[in-house]
Amino acid sequence: MTSASGQDTGSQQVLAALQAALAAEQAASYGYGVVGARLPQGSAKQGTATADWVTHLRAADKLTVMISARGGKPVPAAVAYQLPEPVQTATEATALAALLEDRVAQAYLGIVALPESGLRSFGAQQVRAAALRAAAWRGSTQAFPGLPTASLRTAGSRPPDAPANAAP
Amino acid sequence: MADGSASASRIPAAGLSRRALLTASAAALPLLVTACRGIQVLGTPPPPPADVRTLQAAIAAEEAMVARYASALKLLTLAASTRYSAAAAGIAAYASARAVHAEHVAHLAQLKSRLVEPPGARPSAHLPPTYPTATPGATTQSPSANSTPASSPTSSPTSSPTSAPGSAATGAPSARGVLGELELAEQAASDRLIAELGGLPPSLAQLFASIAASEATHVEYLRAARRGR
Repeated sequence: MTSASGQDTGSQQVLAALQAALAAEQAASYGYGVVGARLPQGSAKQGTATADWVTHLRAADKLTVMISARGGKPVPAAVAYQLPEPVQTATEATALAALLEDRVAQAYLGIVALPESGLRSFGAQQVRAAALRAAAWRGSTQAFPGLPTASLRTAGSRPPDAPANAAP
Repeated sequence: MADGSASASRIPAAGLSRRALLTASAAALPLLVTACRGIQVLGTPPPPPADVRTLQAAIAAEEAMVARYASALKLLTLAASTRYSAAAAGIAAYASARAVHAEHVAHLAQLKSRLVEPPGARPSAHLPPTYPTATPGATTQSPSANSTPASSPTSSPTSSPTSAPGSAATGAPSARGVLGELELAEQAASDRLIAELGGLPPSLAQLFASIAASEATHVEYLRAARRGR
């Protein structure tokens, strides 16, 4: 009796997560255009930015196909996006690239939260790829790529879905 | 005796002999005690759910990784204390490994915060035996490594950059070898976490995926340190 509505809810959750990832990829594609423009012409970093830009374009294409295959309508990219900070220098461009990857990783964590194992694995692979790109731009690693600080817990606090073999 | 026999002979009027009453009381005592202690003592407790076991295994693996780094840092201290040209590489390797070690400590804290243990539980009592224990790979510290790292200022480094940690030739560990082993461990840990995502609660799956991504970045970070970049 509840299966039909449950399936609808599940489908909506899947589509919402895929749309969020698509939006992040589209924003990253735009952002890399800015990054590449602020990096020294012909430099290795600009070459990396170009490669990453292509990666995000392809990822957006893949998500578009996935959304369509599930009966959804992919939301088109915006014409322009508001940058979090003005980007005038190569250092600022590098910082923007790292930030874009952080946001992409965060969006794919939304797919990891879905119950479907295939999507989970896909999301995790994309989180890992984004974290690798972010670390390359930043020159350092992060303990929890994509996870907002607010979602990290101190010892003793328990998230609602934490596994427990005893009541606290 | 005669009185006892006589009284015993009178008890059947009540329906039970004295011996039978004593036997029945002795037999009933454990049942009464059991009832007072609850149903737990009647059987073994059920095994923890699959997601709990997965989390426990991840905690054990992360503990092993933290221990592996602690051991590696000791080896890298030795490498950095030599007077060889490898000392600079050892210092850089130590700094890199220490930074990654701190992130593993953070991973472990987050994983542990997701598990609620019953009071008095022994965490190690239910760890899957298939997980690695806290042995830092094949890097064993030879006793001679504790002696003066460079006995002669004119001696030259004999360990190759790619030799295994704990070079037999010098007794000093190779920084590159130590980092190389850590890279392998990181890659395996990252892959294992992603493989275990199925069946986990959403927030725990996200934590696993994030830690897996972090460990993948450690591979590249350590590789760059090993290559001196």
